[in-house]
Amino acid sequence: MKVFEMKDVKKAFGDLRVLKGISMTVKKGEITSIIGPSGGGKSTLLRCATTLETIDSGAIMIGDQTLVDTKDGKTTYCSKKGLQEIRSKFGLVFQNFNLFPHFSVRRNITESLVHVRKMSRDEADAVCDRLLEKMQLSDKADAYPCNLSGGQQQRVSIARALATNPDILFFDEPTSALDPELTAGVLRVIRDLAQEHMTMVIVTHEMAFARDVSDHVIFMDDGKIVEEGKPSQVIDDPQSVRTKAFLNGF
Amino acid sequence: MEKYISTIKLLSGGFVITLEIFAYTLVFSVILGLLVSKGRMSRNPVIRSLVRIYISVMRGTPLMLQLLLVYYLPYYMFGVKTGNIKIGPYSYDFIATIIAFTVNYAAYFAEIFRSGIQSMPKGQYEAAQILGFSKSQTFFRIILPQVFKRVLPAMTNEIITLVKDTSLSRILSIKEMFFFSSSAAARMSSIMPFIIAGVFYYVFNGIIEITMNRVEKKLDYYQ
Ligand SMILES: Nc1ncnc2c1ncn2[C@@H]1O[C@H](COP(=O)(O)OP(=O)(O)OP(=O)(O)O)[C@@H](O)[C@H]1O
Ligand SMILES: [Mg+2]
Repeated sequence: MKVFEMKDVKKAFGDLRVLKGISMTVKKGEITSIIGPSGGGKSTLLRCATTLETIDSGAIMIGDQTLVDTKDGKTTYCSKKGLQEIRSKFGLVFQNFNLFPHFSVRRNITESLVHVRKMSRDEADAVCDRLLEKMQLSDKADAYPCNLSGGQQQRVSIARALATNPDILFFDEPTSALDPELTAGVLRVIRDLAQEHMTMVIVTHEMAFARDVSDHVIFMDDGKIVEEGKPSQVIDDPQSVRTKAFLNGF
Repeated sequence: MEKYISTIKLLSGGFVITLEIFAYTLVFSVILGLLVSKGRMSRNPVIRSLVRIYISVMRGTPLMLQLLLVYYLPYYMFGVKTGNIKIGPYSYDFIATIIAFTVNYAAYFAEIFRSGIQSMPKGQYEAAQILGFSKSQTFFRIILPQVFKRVLPAMTNEIITLVKDTSLSRILSIKEMFFFSSSAAARMSSIMPFIIAGVFYYVFNGIIEITMNRVEKKLDYYQ
């Protein structure tokens, strides 16, 4: 079952063509890593998928809903209501967390449950407690983001993204803003999610991690998918010159 | 001694009006200022330029002149006799004062709010959007509380200025504290009423500073 699909997605910022026709599908329970050099368009791809940027042409489907489609050269987005529904189906974990600094950890996680999903406080708190336990942050429910380490903040932001029970989770370099000694905790949490067959798309520079955890690896450069396949193919036995050159840097 | 006490009593009576001008202006101008700051950042270029002109006129002309304009405008522009206008216990003199102060202070607050809102990182909006918050939920739950903390020091400055500016309403014969201190000074041929008025303003502003410092401390729990 397809959870996410992109078809020939193109996106430019002014004259700069950043996505030059990207097609990909993600099946339920599958973990896809996107790797590639800086400026290749990885973040832009995720931002288009998560409604933070609009595309110029192509199609994006999340679950059984169409976010945007191009027919007869005309690109149209779904209605506002459709957008709201689609946003309830995915989560996004940012490189720099983007936690709400004025809310406690608990409120960061529960605020949308209560005010968007209209859950009761008690229900939302139960969800929060369960997720914090999973993130090994049970003792931090009442702390504020500024009093947490980067790794802890990122785990809170993962819990926040999971709270709405999304069908698919997108990560944009979840460990790039962290000190090296803090990345392990975050990667372990993502590995745990992988074990539970959470559907995920992960942009990462952690090659060893991508090799271990992914079912599918996409190498992206200059707005195009250059090579894709199993990690054993793309990471261990790359065919393209550009993929080889990129992986040699690690 | 008796003279002092009777002057203090007299000024205390006027101080109630001073407080009313202060409180109404603060509430209305903060609300209007928020709306104006939104207009200043509007996507519509016509709204944006109109608001920009409004702000620059408010900041570029004396408040005293604005008071007189608001006071005389209904009569000289539309022939409206303002003597009969009354809202609750308030005559047009007082209403004109509140309007002029509000419109003036809203311009200053709007600029403060705008810089606060624009200083918010884009990621806060994006995180809220992804979580499904509506535009207004995002503004009131996520953005505004953080903006409030950021603009608090600048707001304190404006609020302290407002306390002192209430004395300008004397030009419309509003019977606030400064009105009484000038008339008492003239009657008694003494500067003592002015000094007492000064003490009133100084103490009131001291209380405001202490209060705002407390609020700032209270918000120290994050960032
Ligand atoms: N909002 C924007 N406006 C203009 N140009 C942009 C914008 N966002 C991204 N770009 C440009 O698009 C290109 C792709 O950027 P993107 O952030 O998607 O790359 P990336 O693969 O995520 O790189 P990195 O590994 O450094 O995060 C870059 O040249 C970038 O400067
Ligand atoms: Mg990026």
